[in-house]
Amino acid sequence: MGDRALTEAPATGLIEDLFRREFGRLVSALTRLLGLKNLTLAEDVVQDALITAMQAWRFEVPRDPKAWILRVAKNRALDVIRRDRRLAPLPPLLESEWTVAGAVDSVLAESETASSQLAMMFSICDEALSEDTHVTLILRLLCGLSSGEIARAFLVETQIIDRRLHRGRTRLQKLGALVDVRDIADRDVRLRSVMQALYLLFNEGFHGSNRENPLLPGMSADALRLAELLLESLSTRRAEVHALAALFCFHASRLETRLDADGVFVPLVDQDRSLWDRSLIHRGVVHLSAASSGTELTRWHLEAGIACEHAIASSVKETNWERIVDLYDALLNLAPGPVVALNRAIAIGELRGPSAGRDLLRAMAEDQRISQYPFYWAAMADLEKRAGNRAEACGLYERAMSLARSRAERVSYERRLQQLH
Amino acid sequence: MPKYMFIFRGGAPEIPDLSPTEMEAHLRKWYAWAGELAKAGRHTGGQPLDGMGKTIRGRNRTVTDGPYAESKDLVTGSLVIEASSLEEATELAMDCPVFEFGGSVEVRPVVHHDL
Repeated sequence: MGDRALTEAPATGLIEDLFRREFGRLVSALTRLLGLKNLTLAEDVVQDALITAMQAWRFEVPRDPKAWILRVAKNRALDVIRRDRRLAPLPPLLESEWTVAGAVDSVLAESETASSQLAMMFSICDEALSEDTHVTLILRLLCGLSSGEIARAFLVETQIIDRRLHRGRTRLQKLGALVDVRDIADRDVRLRSVMQALYLLFNEGFHGSNRENPLLPGMSADALRLAELLLESLSTRRAEVHALAALFCFHASRLETRLDADGVFVPLVDQDRSLWDRSLIHRGVVHLSAASSGTELTRWHLEAGIACEHAIASSVKETNWERIVDLYDALLNLAPGPVVALNRAIAIGELRGPSAGRDLLRAMAEDQRISQYPFYWAAMADLEKRAGNRAEACGLYERAMSLARSRAERVSYERRLQQLH
Repeated sequence: MPKYMFIFRGGAPEIPDLSPTEMEAHLRKWYAWAGELAKAGRHTGGQPLDGMGKTIRGRNRTVTDGPYAESKDLVTGSLVIEASSLEEATELAMDCPVFEFGGSVEVRPVVHHDL
């Protein structure tokens, strides 16, 4: 560290990414060591270590930032264990000065990263807590988001997030110790909840409800990171987790092209496919082929299959719409829902022509959930435009604009409307 | 050119749940500020200080733990810059990100011997 000027600042996002990863890793590890009743203490220790790092890195980032944080966190943890009487009673390993440092070292070791975080995710995804609380706790405890940030992402009041966190922490503290993922009775139930929570987390980053900032790539990256952690452990390495990871990879590969330089949504047909992240698409293909080893076809397989067809196609025209429609048929069967039906109708519009798609879409207009969804009206407008019905398309784009949830959406429909003239 | 030392006090956030995003954003401000100074050829070196330490006092050299200052008064780092006058040095300190979290900057001329 030194007495010299900072010549080169680290690339944007690197520190944030490191802090998010380390927050989740260290909070999980320390909670495993100190027990869930000391969850908030573990959070405080890690928060303190990160703040210390931030203060110390104002002039220069250390050569090995990760090791730096680890060292500070370890020292803080040792201080707390030696001095904080709230911790008592401690396991014998932590009571003895001879063994305490070794115990802290081994739980903080890189090799324990996956298992501690898995234990945390599985503890969080408890049946007694709601899906929303699962996602909120994951964002707080495994990604280090503040309650204000979580509130902004989900468009709710910060107090609501604070209440959720409080409920969640209280429940976790009652559990005593983090669950052992290799040895719990309801592992499959919890795994499904974990996957569902990661899916919600990813989606929030991919087409989130945040008005000013509808894309939150950090959240999507967190979801992919945590899904891949599930695959590191034998007890959770399942075909359907590979399918979920594949889905995340395919979607994430085009995350950057979804918004243009003005922060406006770019429809799939206009996205610059040369900018799609090839390495993520490749990673998705690898996950998808691993997913096919399973015996059960889950909705994650089907959704990943659809996303894959889009990711590997050279244009909208060259896309294998027949296969996509087949996959949507199967998905509608397995997980019926208005958004799946909507996307299937769009695919049919590509495969069999605009009027086939439009007929299906029109039949859905009664559904309240769909009629409030701006994307529905825009999709119908796109089809009317393709069918040459300018006047209808105009009215539909206007309707989509009136329902738009963000500037990114509204301006996107506005532009398509202007293209009609 | 005369040298001045910026002595930073406090500025460690009191906000309990500052997030990784916000921490990076704060660091970016420091890098931008120091980068500007460096670009203008004024920045000669900075030193962050850790919170822990000892104080040795008096003829008896009594050693105590830490400087037990209020956290807002604790020296958290220093930076030496070049400026033509104390006024200019003070002006350069105005954009320092330490103020974001309630810290302060003391601007002191460094004694120079070749007149």
